[in-house]
Amino acid sequence: MSEWIAVFKRGLLIDNPLTVLMIGLCATLAVSTKVEGALFMGLAVIFVMTASSVLISTMRRFVPELVRIPVFIVVIASFVTIVDLTMHAFLPDIYTFLGVWIPLIVVNCLILGRAEAFAYHNPPRLVSADGLGMGLGFAVVIVVLAFIREFVGSGEIVFMGTRLIAMPSWYRGPGVVMLFPGAFLVFGFLVAAMTALNRRLAARKVEPIPGCTLDEGGPS
Amino acid sequence: METLSHFALLLVGGALVNNILLTRFIGLCPFFGVSNAMETSIGMAGAVLFVMTLASTGTWVFWNVLLEPLGVGDFLYIPAFILVIASLVQFVEMYLRKASPGLYRALGIFLPLITTNCAVLATATESVKPGFFKMNVAYSFGFGETLVYTLGVAIGFGFALISFAALRERLEVAPVPEIMKGTPMAFITAGLLSFGYVGLGGLFGL
Repeated sequence: MSEWIAVFKRGLLIDNPLTVLMIGLCATLAVSTKVEGALFMGLAVIFVMTASSVLISTMRRFVPELVRIPVFIVVIASFVTIVDLTMHAFLPDIYTFLGVWIPLIVVNCLILGRAEAFAYHNPPRLVSADGLGMGLGFAVVIVVLAFIREFVGSGEIVFMGTRLIAMPSWYRGPGVVMLFPGAFLVFGFLVAAMTALNRRLAARKVEPIPGCTLDEGGPS
Repeated sequence: METLSHFALLLVGGALVNNILLTRFIGLCPFFGVSNAMETSIGMAGAVLFVMTLASTGTWVFWNVLLEPLGVGDFLYIPAFILVIASLVQFVEMYLRKASPGLYRALGIFLPLITTNCAVLATATESVKPGFFKMNVAYSFGFGETLVYTLGVAIGFGFALISFAALRERLEVAPVPEIMKGTPMAFITAGLLSFGYVGLGGLFGL
């Protein structure tokens, strides 16, 4: 159990997919202009990530190495189709906002990257921790980024049609935050903040997990 | 439409004005992943150029010969294209492992990740379904146009990646505040580069 928690924490903080490993960035920077869109994007990724990596991990003994990538992709594409159809049916507004980025979860480097580097070499129990941790790490960062960009850029947070908080009415946000370069700049400062946080955690000493190579494709 | 200037505009539009990395956020993982060394970024740019050209032309043929006549294109194109791209990447991986083990090791996990490089899927899809990624193109590409446009996008990708790698090498020795060292500074740099590319919008009426 402690191993499970260690892997989970590792995904959430120490090896956070966005701020440390820096994979899965495209969708993050593109949809983080609105909090509600970012939130549902995060949830979709948590679901696809956990489900597909557990399934891949259970089949890892039957999948030959040479065809592993097409197999991974087909598994991931099926779960993305589930999310795609569900969201289209129940959350049409958010589906329109996320648009092409829902089908593009299939090619989100985060999910295939973890399948390749972790799920293919580890038992399902640990893989579920990795999927949940990495997915949650992704979701938290994307929501925080969207919060900063929407709040600073447009001066208010609108969630499911209701306005949650707003700046005073004289506030005129710098529009650049909502544009492409702004996403890079805000994310840069966010990464700096996460690095600082991780350093303070590291100072409290977190044991590395023996036998888990996280960043390399090689078998552990 | 099939004039030289039309093709030149497609090339410049794909490479600079609609630069896939810095103005459209597509394909960012290798952009930050491999750009900390010049050699790997040149390798990556070459691999992307190769795979992207093969993938776009391959999927264009696949779409026009199989999917469109059968009328299943609209809901089957993503799995179909992904499979074509994944098999291509696997092929490139096997070839590189034999032909150039040094480059193979240097690219590491990023070679299989070309499959999930949104840039490849995006460009392939764009060639058959214009407007998919909010491009200002209102008609489907012919084969020649697909080839030229993909070359443009891949060159733009390589150009942005290599220039960014050069900037990052200089940043190594620059006096950056301790907490901003490494990736945070890389993002700020990318943001500033992106300003430059966004400023190109409207060039030649593109």
